[in-house]
Amino acid sequence: MRLVRDLGRRKLRSGLTITGIAVGIMALVVFGSMANKMNALISGGSKYYANKAVVSVGSMYSGNIQPLSLGDVKRVEGVEGVGAATPTLDMLLSDTGGANMGTPEMITADIPGGDKGYETFKIDLAQGRKLTTADAHSKVTVLGSDLARRLNSNVGDKVTLRDVEFTVVGIWAPTLTAPDKDAYVPLEAAQELFVKSLPPLIQANINPAVIATGIVVYPKAGVDPEVLKTRLQALLGKDYTIMTGKDFDAMLGTFSAIFSMVLTGIAMLSLLVGGLSTINTMAMSVAERTREIGIKRAIGASRWRIQREIVLESAAIGLIAGLIGLGIGAAMTMLFNDLGRASGNVLFDLTLGTALTAIGFSTGLGAVAGFVPAWGASRLDPVTALRYE
Amino acid sequence: MAILEGRNLRKTYRLSRRNTVEALKGVEVSIEQGEMVAIMGPSGSGKSTLMHILGLLHAPDPNHGPTPELYLGGENVATLSDNARTRLRARRMGFVFQDFNLVPTLTAAENVMLACDYAGIKAKQARAAALEALALVGLGERGDHKPAELSGGEQQRVAIARALVNKPEIILADEPTGNLDSDRSAEVLALFRQFNREQGQTIVLVTHDSEVGEACDRVIKMRDGWIRDQGYRTAAQVGATEAVA
Repeated sequence: MRLVRDLGRRKLRSGLTITGIAVGIMALVVFGSMANKMNALISGGSKYYANKAVVSVGSMYSGNIQPLSLGDVKRVEGVEGVGAATPTLDMLLSDTGGANMGTPEMITADIPGGDKGYETFKIDLAQGRKLTTADAHSKVTVLGSDLARRLNSNVGDKVTLRDVEFTVVGIWAPTLTAPDKDAYVPLEAAQELFVKSLPPLIQANINPAVIATGIVVYPKAGVDPEVLKTRLQALLGKDYTIMTGKDFDAMLGTFSAIFSMVLTGIAMLSLLVGGLSTINTMAMSVAERTREIGIKRAIGASRWRIQREIVLESAAIGLIAGLIGLGIGAAMTMLFNDLGRASGNVLFDLTLGTALTAIGFSTGLGAVAGFVPAWGASRLDPVTALRYE
Repeated sequence: MAILEGRNLRKTYRLSRRNTVEALKGVEVSIEQGEMVAIMGPSGSGKSTLMHILGLLHAPDPNHGPTPELYLGGENVATLSDNARTRLRARRMGFVFQDFNLVPTLTAAENVMLACDYAGIKAKQARAAALEALALVGLGERGDHKPAELSGGEQQRVAIARALVNKPEIILADEPTGNLDSDRSAEVLALFRQFNREQGQTIVLVTHDSEVGEACDRVIKMRDGWIRDQGYRTAAQVGATEAVA
């Protein structure tokens, strides 16, 4: 209480310092939440790609997906060390795409059970059921959580995917990663949609039933996916891209590192500005209170007591600023998430960890900034301080 | 028995590189337990410096002369560390200053409690002690007032309550009546005298008010960094004072 009263003595100065730190903490919260979302996305991908090799022609991430043939699946299955190989078909939900952060909305398909139990990346259902082999020729879909929210669909609703009407039979639980924006359909339905999206001249020469865009290859237990990759590459040639967990991490690890650097940069900037401003505030406050410190020292306050008093006050500035910054930052992320939800762009994930880090960081910053003036104050000679006007 | 006893007390202040002031030039002084002593002298005579050393706010200079000695209740405290001196100030001494020197953001009771806090007394006990001390100085009803809401005389009485609250052996007061009119001065002096009589506290006052000096048991007179007169009276004088009292 006494602490807050002391801060209240210098409302404008304390207020400005608190505002300065609060802005920094707000930035930390907002960007931290964004990084959380991004990292969840990347670590989800990393988990998915772990212990498998994904074969494609061209790159899915450049949007330049070219079909391969189901015949390739047969060839791959014959490679030594392959436990299972199953075709997948991925395509953009809409060609226009639109402004999208993170991963785009996709239509994806595979053969239920094609993994022969090798798949370790399991997604829970929030509603309804998964697709089964019995769905093979029907127009049914299981939607990712973000996509379901954007389309405002529940199980039993009809949704239109690339001009074709599908019945929603299930909705995935949120994964915070790519599948949240996917619509799962049976492979046959995806093949049909895929061919329809191709130029008419090419359409005529393609048998929809044999196309896929990727092959997920599961190594047998104890087989290194990297070794498998070498064998597959030797078999398929250089036109095929083979991505393993290691490749994925190498590709998106850089991305993640840049993001972390930006975040650290912002943190450092707020540390510098907020810290200097707090040092200034506390130094001024110590100068103003020189006499008071003299009194306290004279009547028996130890140096340590004086230091503690000032460091605590400084930490309180940091704590208050942190709470305000967190409050505004949290409000901003919620607002933007609500606005973004309609278009399927949920950009922020404010975790408890981020919130506690922000508060801890600003409180620590305040305390550290208080050390310099506190040390000076504690070294004041009580007699000189008492005479200070 | 002497509660404070000093020998070879020297203090030189360095104002700048070349300019030093020899405030205390090698003083010998003894304050008896239960005495009420005034230290008087013109500005620059070293009276405040002597009080600061007796009050352990400053340590005497160890160099350029015979080793200084300062005994507090028989224990040599001349060379104690800052922390050790601070502890002694908190537990065994009380201070009153000319400008009252209360913490402006704290109430009267909180100001008094500060001294308890530094002496290591728990908050609940401290509150009771503070209210008791305020009642002793006649401010029992004004514990919740801030210094700005009190008159000068009342502020000084709060300061006295703060000096008294831990029942210290010694109270040191630097010009305690310097900012008060004569009625308020008399009140303050009466308070000091009351505590001196009732609780046996040793009181050392620095003053240049001769009326204050006359109210004390003894006046130590200083000039140019030396004690000119220890102020001991003859037996007849002491007898006369006590007869009057």
